[in-house]
Order: sequence, then C-alpha cells, then structure tokens
Amino acid sequence: MTGYTPLLPEGILIGVAALVILVGLFIEKKKILGYFTLIGLLASLGLTISSWNITTAYTGAPFYGAIVVDPFAQIFNMMFLFVGILVCIAALDAYGDHKNQDEFYALMLLAIVGMMTVALSKDLVALFIGFELASISTYAMAGFDKHDPKSIEAAMKYFLIGGLSSSLMVFGMSYLYGLTGSTNIDTIAAVFAENTALIGTPAILLAMVMLIAGFGFKMAFVPFHMWAPDTYEGAPSIVSSLLAAGSKKMGFAAAFRVFIIGLIAMKLDWYIAFVILAVVTMTVGNVLAVVQKSVKRMLAYSSVAHAGYIAIVFAIVAYPYASADATGLAVAGGILHAFSHAIGKAGAFIAVGAVTYMLMSKNAVDGDPNHIDNYDGLGRRAPLTALLMTIMLLSLAGIPPTFGFTSKWYLFLSAIKGGLLWLAIICVLNSALSVYYYAKVIMRMYWGEPKGDAFIEPPMYLFAMTIAVIALIALFFVPDGVYYWADAAAHALLGV
Amino acid sequence: MIGPISAIMLTLVVGAIITLLTNSTAQARAVAIVSSFIALAISIWMFLTYELNPVTHLAFEEGSANNWISSIGIGYHVGVDGIGLPMVLLATIVCALGTVYSWSESKRSNQFFALVLLMDLTLIGVFVSLDFFMFYVFWELTLLPMFFLIGVWGGPRKDYSAIKFLIYTHIASVIMMLGIFAMYYYNGINTGVYTFDMMTLLHSYPTLPISSFWKNFIFGALMFGFIVKMPSVPFHTWLPDAHVEAPTVGSIILAGVLLKMGGYGLFRVLLPMIPNASPYFIYALALFGLVSIIYSPFAALAQKDIKKLVAFSSIGHMGFISLGVAASVAAGLEGPRILAHTGAMFQMFSHGIITAVLFGSCGVIEHHTHTRIIDDLGGLTKKMPKFAILMVAGFFASLGLPLCSGFVAEFSILGGSFQTLPIFVALAAVTIPFTAGYHLWAVQRTLWGPYNEYLGDIKEIKWYEFATLAIWTILFIVLGIYPQPIFNMMRDTATYFITSGNILPIGGIPI
Repeated sequence: MTGYTPLLPEGILIGVAALVILVGLFIEKKKILGYFTLIGLLASLGLTISSWNITTAYTGAPFYGAIVVDPFAQIFNMMFLFVGILVCIAALDAYGDHKNQDEFYALMLLAIVGMMTVALSKDLVALFIGFELASISTYAMAGFDKHDPKSIEAAMKYFLIGGLSSSLMVFGMSYLYGLTGSTNIDTIAAVFAENTALIGTPAILLAMVMLIAGFGFKMAFVPFHMWAPDTYEGAPSIVSSLLAAGSKKMGFAAAFRVFIIGLIAMKLDWYIAFVILAVVTMTVGNVLAVVQKSVKRMLAYSSVAHAGYIAIVFAIVAYPYASADATGLAVAGGILHAFSHAIGKAGAFIAVGAVTYMLMSKNAVDGDPNHIDNYDGLGRRAPLTALLMTIMLLSLAGIPPTFGFTSKWYLFLSAIKGGLLWLAIICVLNSALSVYYYAKVIMRMYWGEPKGDAFIEPPMYLFAMTIAVIALIALFFVPDGVYYWADAAAHALLGV
Repeated sequence: MIGPISAIMLTLVVGAIITLLTNSTAQARAVAIVSSFIALAISIWMFLTYELNPVTHLAFEEGSANNWISSIGIGYHVGVDGIGLPMVLLATIVCALGTVYSWSESKRSNQFFALVLLMDLTLIGVFVSLDFFMFYVFWELTLLPMFFLIGVWGGPRKDYSAIKFLIYTHIASVIMMLGIFAMYYYNGINTGVYTFDMMTLLHSYPTLPISSFWKNFIFGALMFGFIVKMPSVPFHTWLPDAHVEAPTVGSIILAGVLLKMGGYGLFRVLLPMIPNASPYFIYALALFGLVSIIYSPFAALAQKDIKKLVAFSSIGHMGFISLGVAASVAAGLEGPRILAHTGAMFQMFSHGIITAVLFGSCGVIEHHTHTRIIDDLGGLTKKMPKFAILMVAGFFASLGLPLCSGFVAEFSILGGSFQTLPIFVALAAVTIPFTAGYHLWAVQRTLWGPYNEYLGDIKEIKWYEFATLAIWTILFIVLGIYPQPIFNMMRDTATYFITSGNILPIGGIPI
C-alpha cells in the first residue's frame, strides 16, 4: 500500500466529511463540527506541505497511474487547502447558528477533495471524476442560502452551465480516447508525438475546441464567463470565495495538465486560441468590472480578468519563438499568480461576506447589501475589516508590498522573456486599468461619509482575513520558499 | 549593526506605526515630528561624513546584489552618491519641516502624520535603491500615501484628482517595468547571470548584443516612466489637478520631492544608458524640456487659482532638468557638459526647497483667507507683513533672482547647455521674461494693491508656518550665495560620470 500513503491528505478529508455528516445527525450544537473540519483541513495541509517535493519514484503510481503525486499537484493542493481553511474559519461566523451547517462543512470538504483529485490526476477519467465531485458539491453550496432567491438563481445557473461544460469536456475527452486509445495524459502525448499525421485533423481540432470550452467554463474565460458574475454575486460570499479561489484554480490545474502535457504536440493550434482568449478575457473582465455597482460583482469580473492574466501562460508555452527557460518561468509565474489571486480573492470575498454579515446584524440592509454605497465610510465603521480588505484589494491590483505584486512581476517577466512584448503591454495596461475599480472601493471606504454607527466586527471573519493578509504580506517579503515550490512544480509538470 | 540608510528607513517605519496608534493630535504630531527629525539628523550626519568608496563610487552602501530573492536575482542593496545623497537630504528636510507645518492638522491626525512619514520613507527608498526591483517597489509605493493624502484631506474634486494621479502615474510605471524586464532578460541571456542589480544592468546595457528595437524599447520605456513623473508637457495633466486638490503638505511633498523621482531616474538610470541609445532620444529629451519651459509660463499666466499657478511653475522648472541632462550628453567639451549636468542636479535640490515655500505660502493664504483665487485677494501685506516677506522671497527665488539657489541652478544649466544645444538655450532664455512676469504679477495682485475688505479681518501667519517657511527661505538664500557644499558634491559625481566613460558624447551636430 506504499503507493497510496501520499494520498493521506485526501483520505483525511473524506474521513472527516463522513464523520461530520454522521455526527451531525445526532448532535444539536453543530458548531463543534466546524472546528473539527478545520482540524482536518489543517492536518491535511500540514501533510501536504511536509511532502511537497515528493516524487513518483517514491509514490509509485497509485490507481494504475491515474493519480500522480508530484510538486505540481502539491502546490495546487496547498492552494485549495489554504482557501478551504479560510472559508471554514469564516463559516464559523457565517453559519455558526445554521441548523444544517454540518452539510456545509461536509460539502466543502468533498469539494476540496474533488479539486485536489483534479490536481493529482494524470488520467482523463480521474480528472473528470474530480471535476464532477468538486462541481456537484459546489452546486449545492451555491444554493445554500435556500431562502434567498438570488442564491437559488446562482445555484441554478451554475448547475445548468456547469452541466453543459462537463458534457462538452467529456465529449472532447472521448475524441481524445478514440484517437489515441488511451486516457492517460502521458500516453496521449506520446501517441501524438509519434503520429504526427494526427496533428491538425478535424477530429483533434474538435476535441481541442470542446476541451477549451469545457475548461474555459470553469476558468471563466470570456466568452464562457456568463455564469460567473451571477453565480459569484448570488451565492453566499464564502461560497463565492471557494468558487473563485478554489474551483477556478482547479480549471487551471486541469488545463495545465491536459494542454501543456497531453496536447503539447498541437501547441501551434491552441496558441492562437489561448492568445485570443487571454486578451479578450482580461480586457472584457476589467472593462466590465469598472462599471459595476455591486462590490461582489466587481470582484467576480476582476476574477475573470485574472483568469486572463493566468491564461498568458498557455500563450507563452506555445509561442514558437519562446526560449526553453521562458516556458518554465511562465508556468511557475502562472502558478504563483494563481496562488496570490487565490489568497487575495478568497480574502476579498470573505471581507464582502463580513460586510453583509455586519449589515444584516444591524438590520440595516435595504436593497443589495453588496452595493458600493454600503461601503461608504467603512474605514470608520469597521476599521479592521476596511484595512484588511484594502490590503487584499491592493494585492489583487498588483501594488506592493503584497504577494500580488511579486506574482504579477514574475508572470509579466515571463511574457517578456518569452518574447511576447505586445502581450506584456496589453497585460500591464489592463493591470493599470484594474487599479481604477479597486481604488474606487478603497476611496469609498476611506473617504465616503459613513451612513451609521460603528459595527461590531465578526471575530472569525476577521481572523480569516487576517490570515490571508499576513500570508500576502509575508510572501512579499520572504518569497523564496514559494518561488522554489512553484519552480519545482513547473519542472515537475514539464518534466525537465 | 545597521547602516545609516537602514536606520532612517527603520525610524520612519516605526514612527509611522506608532503615529497610527496614537489617539490625539498632540501625540501623533509629537511622534511624527520626533521621528522625521531623527531621520533628518541621520541624513545630515550622512551629508557631513560623506565619503565615496573609490571602487564602487558609492557611500553608505548596505546589502548586496541577489541577497533577497536569489532565485530571480533580487537583492536588498542600498547606497548613495552625489546624486542620491542630496535627494535623501531634500526628502528629509521637506518632510520633517512639512510635519511641523501641519501642526494644526486635526482631521484624523494620526493617519495624516503616519502618511507623511510613509511618504518620506518611500521617497527615500527610491533615492537609495540600487536594485531595480526595490527601486520599482518604492516607486510604486510612493503612490499610496499620496493617494490617501489627496483623497482624505483633499479639496472638493478630490475623488477625480486622486484617482487620476494614481492611474496616470501607475500606467507610466508599468511601462517602465517592462523596460526593466527587457533589460533584465537580455542581460541574463548575454552574461548568463539573471539579476535585477542596477549597477550590473546599467553597466552591461551598452554592450548588449540585441536588436536596436529592443535597445530603443528599453530606453524609451524607462524614459517614459521618468518624464511622466517629472512631468514633462504633454504628460503633465495629472499634476495641476493633484496639486489643486491636495492638502498643503501633500503639495509641498509632491512638488518638492515626488517630482524629483523623475529627475533622479534620468540621472541614475538613463544617463549611464545613453551612449548606446538612439541620439534621437537625446533630442527628444531636450525637446520635452524645452516645451515644458516654454509652455509653463503661458499656462501659469492664465491661472486664476494661485496654487495652480505654482503647479504650472513646477513644470517649467522641471523642464530645465531635462534640458540639462540632454545637454550634458550631447557632443561637446567636457567642462560645459559637467556644468550642465551639475546644474540640473542642483536644480532638483533647489527647486525642492523653493517650491516648498511657494506651496507653503499658498497654504497659508488658503488657511487664513479661505480662498486661493487671485482676484479675490489683494493687499495682504497690510494684514500679514511677516508672511509677505517670505512669500515675496519665495516667488523671487522661483523666478530666478540672483543670490537665490534657483539662479545658480538655472544659470549653470543654461550656461552649460549653450555650447551643445544653443538653439534650445536661446528659446528657453526667451521665456525668462514671461516667467518673471507671471511671478511678479501674481505677487502684485495678491500682496499689494488695496486690501479686499470682503476677506474680513485676517490674522497674521502662525508661528509654525512662519518658522518652516523661514527655514526654507534661509536655506535657499544660503545656497544661492554659497552653493559649494552641495554643488561640489554633485559636481564630483558629474565629473565622474562624464569623464569615466560612463557617458560618451553621442554623435550628431549640435543644434
């Protein structure tokens, strides 16, 4: 069973999820289950970090090679677990009195297991199973506030579009299987490398289009992003945080494996697709974020824009004139940016959740609690929340001293290194534009006139945000460790 | 044992945090004044004990390349020379006296004073960084305290001005960032060592075997970043808005020190790269300077708001710096080029002090009369004689009166540039009467003439305003009569740059 030991983090989470559901049937005070979930997540994160540089030489190939534990999977798993911990802590406040909170924790754990499975899988079937596990759990979570019509709408939209994207993905996968006779990503790559005649055939192009669309839905690339703003806005804030920070990164983990490994022989074909997607995604995301009146919706569009930045990784990897070391740097930069965005966006959505929670507790909501007008003077009404949110927004905007700045530095550096100057210029101009809408929220918080007295800030929300902010600032000053991880992950993915 | 530069930065960080935690104006003010004066004392001590290391041509060097994020070659590396040290001194003088000037600031005073200290810190960071990553981080960080200063304590159109300031200069910075990336990358390809160390990159740039497109892109991107910050016409439009809405001390720091970041960038980064850039860039730089010099007096003449008038005067004075830099690298004799180079550096220091007096005067006028519209003022000498002396001194210094430091600087620039860029100098000199004109006209309409009774009974200038303005005034008069302490320090560095081959005369006919 040695090959299965490295999967202990996932095992712990499944065990905890089952226990939470079971115990939840019998006890009244269910908040304790939240702490139990948190311990499970922490244990899992600890195990993942301790085995971050594990290699296949040690792990063997569990599940007949469908699962591979390597630094690439481990850094994504750390990301998912970290986001899970933040969401779990915030949930202790958000759902501390909810009578079905045990289900929330169990669903969240299963969603995280699904995401981790995607990161770990080197086989299309395993990847699909992970995708579905994460998706189905999050469908239910998006509708968790079942008395709120917006939450129901969000869940419905997410479910319908998610179902469609899954079917497209499976369709594309079935073509790949038909063409190569294997579902293993390495084998697929090897078959394409040998049979160059397959490259450019209509069947493979169709498969690629389907896969791009399927993953594109999860990553919220324009034009597959339509569900994202509605779902992120309608879903409970902490669920949006899991969706934007976790589920979306799962899409990237899958796309990295399938495109950069499995379909690398076809890179000239998907180069154009990803260049266009990246540019359109970041531009549309940023432009639409500028005009939003709801802070939550603005964060949703900014999340779309960030998907565009990360998508330039595909363009650089596939760019025919890029130097070899630019490829590694691009993947590492993409992973780092995914990491910084995950922390910043998870924290920002939790902050939005905290504001809603504070407004609700005062019965001061009239209309949309996420409307920007509610943030007027937040710097005086809820000083800590405002400060923490400001730092997270600065990180998303890529302004030092935050991790968001270094990750953008790394990512755009790789674009220059890859020789894609024009793409880098579009990226930085977009990034400069994005400063506008983040700054607008900061302005409202610090020099808008407060519309009421001070709030009592919810402690667990604050705790979750503080962890996120400490991580963002610490990773700016001491980034060597995470750079090293990202670098190792890139090497593990590219196999060089 | 940490060196003086780290000590200054640490003092300011700690000071800012403690200031933020205080809960009364008096406490916040006390902490801010103490920490900014400690920083000032350290920088004066550095100035007095300044001695260059003959090998690296730096003083007070700390840290080394690649010691922070070694995987991509980022290091904590700081140090100063004849360009950096006067700028550090300027930043500490202006910010320390700026905290005193804001003595009566009572709106959210702990945050206000903390932001002034952070402003001081980030500006000093720019002037001492010897690593492009650090340089860029501080360069970006200067935006934040100023954004909040304008936004929270600003005038009626603060939202628009704060965000315009932030976005405009941020766009320039990210373009500059791409230039840094390209330089980093091609140096890495060429030498095999990937590093953001400023000295390494600047030394290797002239010999990089890259296409002229990339060479020009690197140079152009960096130059764009710097001239927007200076700012040069036509990239100046963020400046008047920012100034008009900013609180007085914000304007003082903005014009006094923040604009100098652009000029500093020209000296520190661009000059060593010039020999290998296209000569058109030199003429472009000179042209940007000239256009700013010509444009500024006419724009200023049309202003109704005295603060906006002063803001436009800054644009013209910064134009002299571009002109001096361009002249110092155009083909010509060494002597005049050194003179132009030194004059341009001295202009940065001198203008920082003089403009502090000008904006300080605007602040006093606004504070006491509650208006800044020139037509509503008049005859202020009758009510505020002490203030009138200082304001007249400041405006006269700004128009370039001999015995003030501005005269020394601009005379050196024009004198040094004449040999290499005679037509530019001639055109710049033509505008001098207009510059004198709008200064005198503004003073005449504000201070002299019949007193405008609608202003009511206004009080004489406060002691803290008087003291700070007086110290700045004494400083620029002393430096106008005896500029040697700073001028010589700058001239040594200029001589080093021009004679050591770091700057080669570029080809082309002097025009």
